[in-house]
Order: sequence, then structure tokens, then C-alpha cells
Amino acid sequence: MRTLAVFLLLSLAAVSAAGLQPPPQAAPEQLKVTPLPNQPIASAPSTPSTQSTPSPSTSTPSTQSTPSAPSTPSPRNANYEIDVRLDPDAKTLRGRETIRWRNISGAPTSELQFHLYWNAWRNAESTWLRERRLAGTYTKPQDDAWSAIDVSSLRVRDASGAWTDLTGQSRFIAPDDGNERDRTVMTVPLGRTIDPDATLEAEVVWTSKIPRPFARTGYIGDYFFIAQWFPKLGVLEERGWNTHQFHAATEFFSDFGVYDVAITLPRRFIVGASGREMQRGDNADGTTTHRYHGEDIHDFAWTASPDFIELSQRFQHPTLPAVEMRLLLQPEHQSQANRYFTAAAWTLKHYGEWFGAYPYGHVTIVDPAFQSESDGMEYPTLFVGGTRVLAPAHVQTPENVTTHEFGHQWWYGLVATNEFEHAWMDEGFNTYSTARVMDARFNPNRVALRYFGGFVPWTFEDIPLSRLENDRLDGYRLNAEADAPWFLTFTYWPGTARFISYNKTAVWMHSLERQVGWPTMQRIMSTYFERWKFRHPKPTDFFEVVREVTGRGNVTFFDEVYRSSNTFDYGVQEFTSAQIDDGRTTPTSPARYRTIVVVRRYGEATFPIDVVTTFANGERVKESWDGQDRRVIYTYERPVKAATVQVDPDRVLLLDINYTNNSRTLAPRTRAASLKWSLKWMTWLEDLMLTYAFFS
Amino acid sequence: MTILLTLPLALVLRGAIDTHLGASLMADRAADGVNWDWWQEFSAQASGLGTTFTPSVLGFATTLDSISSVLDGKAPNAAIAWALAFYLAGWAFLSGGIIDRYARQRSTRTYGFFAASGVYFFRFIRLGVVVGIIYWWLFVYVHPWLFDDVFVRLTRNLSIERTVFLWRVALYTIFGAVLMLVNLLTDYSKIRIVVEDRRSALGAFAAGGRFVRRRLGHVLALYWLNTVVFMAVLAVWALVAPGAGGAGPSMWGLFVFSQLYVIVRLLMKLQFIASQTALFQSHLAHVRYAASPTPVWPDSAAAEAVARSVRL
Repeated sequence: MRTLAVFLLLSLAAVSAAGLQPPPQAAPEQLKVTPLPNQPIASAPSTPSTQSTPSPSTSTPSTQSTPSAPSTPSPRNANYEIDVRLDPDAKTLRGRETIRWRNISGAPTSELQFHLYWNAWRNAESTWLRERRLAGTYTKPQDDAWSAIDVSSLRVRDASGAWTDLTGQSRFIAPDDGNERDRTVMTVPLGRTIDPDATLEAEVVWTSKIPRPFARTGYIGDYFFIAQWFPKLGVLEERGWNTHQFHAATEFFSDFGVYDVAITLPRRFIVGASGREMQRGDNADGTTTHRYHGEDIHDFAWTASPDFIELSQRFQHPTLPAVEMRLLLQPEHQSQANRYFTAAAWTLKHYGEWFGAYPYGHVTIVDPAFQSESDGMEYPTLFVGGTRVLAPAHVQTPENVTTHEFGHQWWYGLVATNEFEHAWMDEGFNTYSTARVMDARFNPNRVALRYFGGFVPWTFEDIPLSRLENDRLDGYRLNAEADAPWFLTFTYWPGTARFISYNKTAVWMHSLERQVGWPTMQRIMSTYFERWKFRHPKPTDFFEVVREVTGRGNVTFFDEVYRSSNTFDYGVQEFTSAQIDDGRTTPTSPARYRTIVVVRRYGEATFPIDVVTTFANGERVKESWDGQDRRVIYTYERPVKAATVQVDPDRVLLLDINYTNNSRTLAPRTRAASLKWSLKWMTWLEDLMLTYAFFS
Repeated sequence: MTILLTLPLALVLRGAIDTHLGASLMADRAADGVNWDWWQEFSAQASGLGTTFTPSVLGFATTLDSISSVLDGKAPNAAIAWALAFYLAGWAFLSGGIIDRYARQRSTRTYGFFAASGVYFFRFIRLGVVVGIIYWWLFVYVHPWLFDDVFVRLTRNLSIERTVFLWRVALYTIFGAVLMLVNLLTDYSKIRIVVEDRRSALGAFAAGGRFVRRRLGHVLALYWLNTVVFMAVLAVWALVAPGAGGAGPSMWGLFVFSQLYVIVRLLMKLQFIASQTALFQSHLAHVRYAASPTPVWPDSAAAEAVARSVRL
């Protein structure tokens, strides 16, 4: 029964931690969100039956997917018409796709390269799983966890309109690491050359075994999250195909296009997908076919579960386009619907006002099932949030995840960087942008820890989270030298790649903002967005925008934060202030004090910084140091002693990994602070010892 | 004893904090409230005891953290583990005097208390070895089996967090019940050692088990009553546990307040011992009965026996 106390205590803690008050609400005059009834979907006439395996199409190309007209926002050069059937019992997909592809590179090609991502979990020697082992996050998959994607037919239409079967000519390649056991990239020789601006039509039939959750894909129970699921073309660039293997620490890259996807599955399932549902028709075999259409997107993901609660709201704004937000919510999170909608609406407003409008008019928000591992992920016009049953009101994690994943519609969805090679350009930019929204809108935001297997949160009302925590400074500090962003992301050390892609970038962007000011930074970001939306920028494209907007290249800064893994650490090496005794002082002459400040560059990276010395009479002396030398010495003679010295007092250089050594005072309160905290810790230790002694 | 063992470690941590803060202005915010920025920086560089300096030191999180640590089977930091070993040994020493005092229901004076502590110390250490082996087996084999194997298998296909959590609570209940049972056996073994002057730890453990088995209703009812009081204490602490606070006099005020909670927790432990001793005496002995003569410090029970035989 002594133990019973523990469980009742758990309940008490849970109630206290969860907080019963509603989350902070947006001011109504600034954010207009109206509930919507469920969207009417056009009904298709019932079909007598559907084939269990979609057969190769003999139809002529659909007019919906015609390669781009000049007026379209994106090049629309990789268009997919997909027909897929889910067997929820067998955990399989059977699909057929027709790809209409146009060569928008300046180089001809005589092959096609496909991503077959689900083969990453086909065997334990895939590059993805090898890298997981390196990262130390590998758990041997159980027998039912494996997945596979097998192409059973691949043919292309030739100039005369006839189909040529190339199934037997396909082979797997491993362009990144030569891993012969990796089957995530398939190449097919065409036997002819596709010149720049020429088009090609290909048809692929495949079957897939759906994995248990891996990399935010798979099933658990009746919840399916289907991402990276179809044979998808790589991106043809001037230097050839850019088709990387699936790596543990990186995501995806593909061309824009139009997607027409028909998903057939048992009628009980509620479906969410990229694009908009255009038509829904029941079939005689108890299934329903959902037809989705998405334009100017570069991927397509979908989810299905019979348990979703479907809710909709409309975002409205005086100058931004209205957006219909559809939320597919887990029943156990019903009370948190408003947290999702509020965070999504603030994201639309702020990203829209700061960077550029969200152009699609609709978005699907998926609240993932527990243990689905699909949480916190972005796909075009659809993203997955993440919350817990016990989600304290003052701990804005659900809002942070929602804002971040929705924010990827800008930095990934629209400005479509190559995530294999420059993941920092979407993850870092978006972490930075998320932190700004969180700082602007979601307060109070507190630190929480989770106890009892991670199920019971406890909110620390004493510890507010600041912009720096949202920028993830702490993770950067621990892994500052892990990799230089200049290298291709898939070559980063898998265990620490995220700290470079997300954290370091967000922190240096925040530093850049503090250097140039938010108005300039906002112009940089909006210019970059407008210029590169629906395209694939590279790092130099961003640096060029910075140069253009600021009028300077920030070359040194980018050398340090992008091209190197050097750390920044400036600190006060010496700080003394003593009365001058040069033998000329008389009892009647006023005392004078010599203050010596030695500022040192402990890190290898350099940055111009200010050094401010404050004297006992309140006088402040500010020195600007270029930060290049190993140290600088300032000497002052004043009628009063100095009080404090601060290096980078405005904290422009957020990348400084040790800010504690940036200041020095002659009247430190260190003893008071250490006494207070050691007494707190002592009480914690007493509690721990009493708890153990309880059972003795 | 609690303060005596925790204070040196607290001084070590204080030294680490002092070293890291130096004469930095960061100390100002750390003294006046929470300087989370500095705290994270400290944690990033911390080793040893410093790694245990987390937000769990604040308010009711102290209690949640300690209970969660036990139920989740987290191994304590090495330095803390040593302190814990000494602490448990200290309790083994004091328990003899405490039970003896409660069994006699009269003042045994300081010398009587410590004499009894000395008399029963090695018997309790032997009992501690027996119980320690059981706890070791529970935490090294049973806990991982329950939470890393059974729990995973039970919840692997569940997609509803509430259900998964309920399974975890169920396993906590099972594991907690086993801990409770061992705890009960230990408590009544110690009581039988003192009241019946038993020498054999194994024999006392078996006898404790017989008492618990034959009077399960009474034993559990008493345990439940004590638990309700214990719960009430924790509930009050959850409401009033102080946060970070500032430095200066208020810091001492909050510390004294926290120590009151520690004292109440100690009183709760005494309450368990006293009531269980009374229950045992009411069933298998009689009130104020203790088999052994009042030990006289510094003589051990053996010396006392020799003296008695000489007199005879």
C-alpha cells in the first residue's frame, strides 16, 4: 500500500502537470479563424469491383497532368498519376503510376533513376540501417517490421507512342557509398536520349510491404502513415542525376509536378493526403476510392485510420489568401484541437507576413497515433504534428511542433532545397523561423520534464523558455564541432547531424538577425522566398540574396558558420581595478584607479564584438574589437574603480558556446548563487535517499 | 544523518558551481532566480555529481523524480550510490534502537537507544544482505523483464497513449506490490529480531513472512492507513513545495521549509515502524514486551549475558 501512494501521487502529478486551463488564445482582432463544416467531396458512381492489382494503363496521357504550361508557379516537370490500393490486413500496397517527366536540365540523359525508399528497411545492411547503427540509435527490427518495395513492371512510351518494357533492365545503384546491399536507388537505361526540354512517359507497377514505423512511415494498429511510398524519380541536374540513397540523417529531394492519386482502401478508413480530395466513390467490394489532386508539389503522402476525428477551420487574413485547415485528430487528443488550429493559424499569419503567402489554400494537419513515430514531419500541403495526452498548457511543445512542421511548407515545400545535400537550408531556416513565431505568440512557455517512463510531465513555472531555447542553442553547444555545414548533409556523422542542420543554422541566423536587424533580415528571407519558391536553391543562392539585401557579403561570417566547424568562445581573461601607487600620490591628491581588461578569444572562430566596461560611478566604456587576435588588452585610468566588464553584452554572437566567461564583476554573487543551488540540490538528494530508505 | 550524508556532496556540487560561475555576472540571475541559460551551459560541461543538477531539484519535482527513479529502476550516480549505501547502513544501525524504543514504549535514554542500536546492528546487516539480494534480483532481472520485455510486448501494437500508460501503471503496480511485500517482510523481520531477540537473519525473515501471511488483513490494513497519511503528506508538499526563490534570508526560509518536509518524511518512516511494532506486539507478544533485557551501553548483549552468568 505504500506503493499505492505512489500511484495516487502519479494521478495527482498528472492532473497538476497537465493543467486544466486552456492554452493561450490568440487575440481575436489579430487572427481570424472560423470553424468549417466537413468539406463536401464529389461522389463518384459506385464501381462494380476494383482489381486487386492495378493493371498497367493503356490510356492516353491525362490532360490534368500535362507538363507545365508557362503560367504555372512551378516547372511541373515530374507529374504523377497514381492508383494505389491498401490492404490493411496484409499490410501491403499495390500501385501503378504513370509518370510524365520533362527534362528541365540543360543536359541530356539516357536513363531514369528512381528512389525506392522503402527498401531502406528491406535488410539490416541497407545504408539507412548501417547509419542508424553508427548513430547509436539502432534497435534490431523485429520480424514483422521489415518493408520492401518491388517493381514488377516498368515501361516507357517511345516517340511513336508504343510502350517499351524495361523491367528486366533495371538495376540498383549506390551512388553515395557503393553499398551493394542498399536497394534504395534504381536505374533504368532508356536506350535513347532524352534531350533538354524533351518529355517522357513512364509507367511503373509495384507492390510494397508496409513497415512498422520507420522514419515516420508505416503502420501501427489501424493507423497508417504512408510516406515516400511510390517509386519516385530523382532530380536531373546539369551534372547528371541527383538521386541519393536513403540516409538515416537526411530527407528528400524531388521535382515539382502535378499529382493525381487514387487511394483505394476499406470504407471504414478516414483518409488524409497531400493535395485536395476531388472525388470519393464507394466500390462494390466494400472499399472506397479517394481521388486526390495536388498541383505544384514535389511529394505526396497520405494517412488512413478509422479513428480520426475530422475537424476543419478557415484561416482568414486581410492580405493573405484564406486557407482551409483540415485536422485529423486522435480521439484521445480531442481537447487539444484548438492548440493545433491556433498554432497553424499563427504560422500562416507570421510566415505569410514575414516571408510570403502560403499559396495552396488548404492544408491537412495530422495528429499522429501514439507510437506511430510519424510525428513531427512535413509533406506538401500536409504535415504531422505531435502531442501527448498529458500536455501541460504552459509547455508549448504541441504548438512548437505544429509551427515547425507547418513552417516547412515554406522551407522545403515551396523553397525546395536538396535535403540530402543541404538539409540546413530547410531545417535550420525553419527552426529559426519557428523560434520567431514561438517567441512572438506562445507565451508563457516553460520547461517541463517527464517522469514515470515519460508519461507524466511536470512543468517548471520558474523556468521560462526563451528564443534561445527555441533556436536550440543547447544542442548546438554540445555538438558545435561535429561537422561543417559546407559538407553534404548525408556525409555528416549520423548521430549529430541534426545539431548542425537544425541548431547551428538557427543560432547563426538569429545572430545574423541581431547583426543586421530584423527589418533587414525579414527582407533577406522574403526576397529569398519570393525568388526561390517552386525552385531548388543552393547555398550560394541564399548567400547571394544576403549580399544583395545587405550590400555586403558577410563573407567572414559565412566562412565561419558555414564553411567551418570552428567554435566561437570569447571571454574575459583578466579583470583588475586597483588604486595607482606610482609614488607620486599624496594624501590630498584624489585617488586614481587603473583598470585592466584582458579579453581573450578562446575559440578558433572570429567575430567582431563589443566590450563594455562599467565603472563604479556608472560610466560605461564601449570598445569595438574585430575579434581577430587571440586577445586584446584595454587599460583605463579613472578616479573610481571598475565594477564590471562584459564581452558582447547585447549577445549578438549567440554562437558563443560559453557565455558565462563573457563577463566579470568585482563584486560577484557567485557564493550566494552556488549556496542557493547547492541547498536546492541537497533537498533533492535527501528526498531521493528517503525514498530509497523507504524500502529498507 | 540525512543531512550529514548529503551535506558533503552538496559542498562538492557547490564547488563545481562556484568554479563554473567564477566571477561572472551570470551569477546574479542565478542567485535571484533561475538562469536557465547558465544552467544549460553548466550541464553541458558537467561531470560526476554535476550531471545530477537538473530542474528536478525544484519544488515537487524532487519527489516525482525520486519516486520515478525507483519505479523506473534508474541507477543512481556513483557518488550518490555510495552515499545511499552509507545511508542505508545508518538506518540499519538506528533501526535497532528505534524498534527497541517503540517495543518497550518507555524512554530508553540515549545510552539505551544506542546500546540497542549496537546490539542489533550486525543482525540487521545480515538481514540487509538477504534483503539486498532480493532487491538486487528484483531490479536487475525482474524490472528489466517487466518494463523492457513484458511492457514492450504488451504495448507494441497499441496506438492509444492512455492504454499504454495504463499498462505501465499496471506494471508499476505489480512491481510496486512486490517491493511492498519485500518491504513488509523486512519490516516485520526487524521487529521480530528486536522483540523476540532473534539472532538468525534468515530465521527472522521466515518468521516475518509467517506473520505477514497469517495476519495479512491486519498487516495490509495498517499499511494502507499509513499510506493514506503518507499520501496526504505528499499531496500537501505538491501544493506548497517551494520553487527556485532568491538568495539571502528568503533562501534560508525556503531551505528550512524544505527541511520540515524532510523531517515529516522521516516521521512517516518512524510512524510505519512504530505502528507495525505495536501491531506485532498485539498479536504475538504483548504491549511493552521485548524478549531481551534492556541493553546497557557500552556493553553488548553478549557482555551483558556473560555478566549475568557470572552473577549466577
